[in-house]
Amino acid sequence: MPINSFVLLLLGGFVAGTFGAMLGLGGGALLIPFLVMVFDVPVHQAIATSIIAVIATSSAGAAMNLERRTVHIRLGMLLEIATVTGAILGGITANYLSAGILAKLFSGLLFLTAIAMILRARQHTAQEPIYTDGILPGSFYDDTNGKIVYYTVKKLPAAMMISIVAGNISGLLGVGGGIFKVPAMNILSGIPMKAATATSNFMIGVTAAASAFIYFAHGHLNPFISSIAALGVLAGSMTGVYISRKIKSKVLTWIFAFVLLGVSIQLFLR
Amino acid sequence: MSDFNPISNNVKHGTERWTSRVLRIGVWISASLMITGVLIGKIIPSTMIEYSSNPTLGGLAMRMLSGSFDPVTMMFAGLVFLMFTPVFRVITALIGFGVERDWRFVAVSAVVLILLTGEIVYSMFIKG
Repeated sequence: MPINSFVLLLLGGFVAGTFGAMLGLGGGALLIPFLVMVFDVPVHQAIATSIIAVIATSSAGAAMNLERRTVHIRLGMLLEIATVTGAILGGITANYLSAGILAKLFSGLLFLTAIAMILRARQHTAQEPIYTDGILPGSFYDDTNGKIVYYTVKKLPAAMMISIVAGNISGLLGVGGGIFKVPAMNILSGIPMKAATATSNFMIGVTAAASAFIYFAHGHLNPFISSIAALGVLAGSMTGVYISRKIKSKVLTWIFAFVLLGVSIQLFLR
Repeated sequence: MSDFNPISNNVKHGTERWTSRVLRIGVWISASLMITGVLIGKIIPSTMIEYSSNPTLGGLAMRMLSGSFDPVTMMFAGLVFLMFTPVFRVITALIGFGVERDWRFVAVSAVVLILLTGEIVYSMFIKG
């Protein structure tokens, strides 16, 4: 691989990882279009690389979040039954779909993600309700106000249903699926946003691993592209976690939403 | 309020701590293998073996055991180790819940592990 391509791939992974970690998306949403459009990587190989990137981001981020105790490990394990089932089905069916259909599906997902992010940014100041009459009590220290937040989980069956869909999309399109899981946990189950994001990030590694082996077995894992991109994503996600403490997330959400919109339209027209 | 008890919830964190350590170790080992593969390939390009298709898990293990540490093998080893890292953390959580005598979540972790193991076994029978 020429040195220019090597640096560009590392840099692309770094940017995807930085934005992914800052916005809690895993990095796949940016990495797949980057690999397809800049490097002309076949869609299935790009998805396999993205799945590896999701595992890297999840593992590095969850290690930090578990120590900070923002992850609800029991809820995460329970929802993983649903997401892993969905991911296995997605990984199997993806190999029977053409690259064109996968690209269109992904462009649609990016478009929906962008709209969801714009809506989230507009409601950014809304106070989130905390429920204490559910099951599986959890708590974490919120360093923005110096208080311990206590909460419980509501409507678990509904959250599990959405997790199956999120897992399926993850296996099919190589993204974390957090864009579905986080709102489900936050809005449906009443989990505070910080715990929902951290728990989703914890779960996406296992969901991605479930489909990674299938992509590997089908020969879609290019060692050069995946290794270099994963190393970039790993460094980027560590940087992203650091930067996210310094920059207003609302500003980043707006920027990212418009980047996603542009990329989704470009990918759809391709 | 049903079983909401913030105090009892706040004292059990051994599973979280061990799971975090396993994830951290997994990331560092896989990153080290990938970096080594990339560096060997960059420093001594002549050792770069032509990549044609993904090896099987067994084939990769055989290559490693036979002392074949070419760039492609090292990169694949790093990638596969990274793929196994979430599996290791499910096993750690299962053991952690067992130590905490939380049998419901031992069962939940066991189901996740069975699904993942079944999927890995299924993937071993796929021809690329």
